[in-house]
Amino acid sequence: MKRHLPETELARDERFRRNKVEDQIFDPRNLAMATRDLGPAQMSVDRPSVSERSRSLMHGIFVGEIQALEGAGRTCFDFDDADAPFALKLDMARQCWDESRHVEISCKLADHMGTDIGEYGESTFLYAAACNTDPVMRLCGVNRALEGLAIDVFSSMKAFGETTEDPILTFCEDWMLADEVTHVKMGSDWMRRLTENDLDRRERALEFQRTVDKVFSLGGFRGESEENPIQITRKFRELAGFSQAECDEIAALAQQAMDDARSMVAAAAAAS
Amino acid sequence: MTIITVSSYVDCIPEGSLSTARAPFAPWDRRTLPGLFDVEESARRIGNYRWTEMRLFEALGGWVATVPELDVKMVLGRHCYHHAWHAELWTKRLPELREMNVDRMTKPANDEMVAFMNAISEPEAPDQTIEKLVGVYRVLIPRTIAAYTYHLHATSPITDSPTQRSLKHALQDEFEGYCDGEMLLQSLIDTPEKVARAMKRQTELDQIITAAGGITGPGSIGTQPETEEGTV
Repeated sequence: MKRHLPETELARDERFRRNKVEDQIFDPRNLAMATRDLGPAQMSVDRPSVSERSRSLMHGIFVGEIQALEGAGRTCFDFDDADAPFALKLDMARQCWDESRHVEISCKLADHMGTDIGEYGESTFLYAAACNTDPVMRLCGVNRALEGLAIDVFSSMKAFGETTEDPILTFCEDWMLADEVTHVKMGSDWMRRLTENDLDRRERALEFQRTVDKVFSLGGFRGESEENPIQITRKFRELAGFSQAECDEIAALAQQAMDDARSMVAAAAAAS
Repeated sequence: MTIITVSSYVDCIPEGSLSTARAPFAPWDRRTLPGLFDVEESARRIGNYRWTEMRLFEALGGWVATVPELDVKMVLGRHCYHHAWHAELWTKRLPELREMNVDRMTKPANDEMVAFMNAISEPEAPDQTIEKLVGVYRVLIPRTIAAYTYHLHATSPITDSPTQRSLKHALQDEFEGYCDGEMLLQSLIDTPEKVARAMKRQTELDQIITAAGGITGPGSIGTQPETEEGTV
């Protein structure tokens, strides 16, 4: 088996359909969507599309968990002990087990919410961040950025479960949230340990994380206002080793991503 | 300060009260000394275990992305951690056996064992799930169970009790892992052609590990009958 498996070679059964994340972001229908005034973007029970949106999000969580499982597994295999010490690989193996459970949980939750494997497409952006050949970049891109996003997503889904009085959804999201905090903390701890004597490498890794954080704020998907379906969860991020300043930075990146998306929509509208 | 001697302690027991003196070993405690392994031999074997468990969990982690079957993917993810945790058990045990440099003792039993683990982890294509699982669950795990069981029975339950405890924890995972893997294989092998594929793969790998003598080399599960002489 070769080291460093590209995302194009991820193995899936015939139910899965692959999407490109750029196709989603630059979907021309987004222009029409953006110009409609739909009120607050958070998942709210009084919105007619809420069940569809929550099912779609749950399917997204499900495929994201599969990729997180695959990414953690590859980090166990792709590096020599010199590049990734045994203790780091042990943590990644532990993450494999956790993500396996998350796949099981989200698969059952998807069924509970009325969707099925393959009903929505899969974009493999999470695994793509796990393809970096530097383990520190992987830790920043996956554990700190995307698992951090998972904290925000699970918190929002847990809140949705509470609002809709769905004890199964609330219960499951709460458990997965606990694991995600652990994974983000692993990323924070290892990033600091591995770059203790190489601050340039640390800065490059943090820059990579900023890029991932901005891209996967998805033009307003995540933020701190009513306009963002997914809310940044500062409390759990701080538990996971983020400083207040780092939380502020993520909020600013998310705001910037939303502003950029609006500018693009405005430019597209002016051109049409 | 008053120093209490044995005689003065005994004198402290009030006259007429029942003695609490008991034999140091209960009648049902049949543990004996010595065991078959000295400190060096136990450490050597544990170094081989650690090397094997590390190569195994790395391969299982690497394979997760290469198998299309969702149930297999999840089982591999779970077992990846189990074997990493076994490696961690051995990481902690080695320094207790006078080997402070864990990496120095973490090595394969011989070159054949290296060839075996390379062969185990070689399949990559998404249509090779059977080959991947046969190598682990029909060849390596049974050999690991055998070597761990031999160690458990052969080493002294008094002097090497910490190793025995870790072996029992690891064996519990190995048994459950074996069942998981074998059941996955039975569900995947559903045609005569697949039976032949599985058998071919098993034969190839069995030949290599037979040449290695097992995961700790020749004598992995003992080589000759032991005597009872000299036990205490």
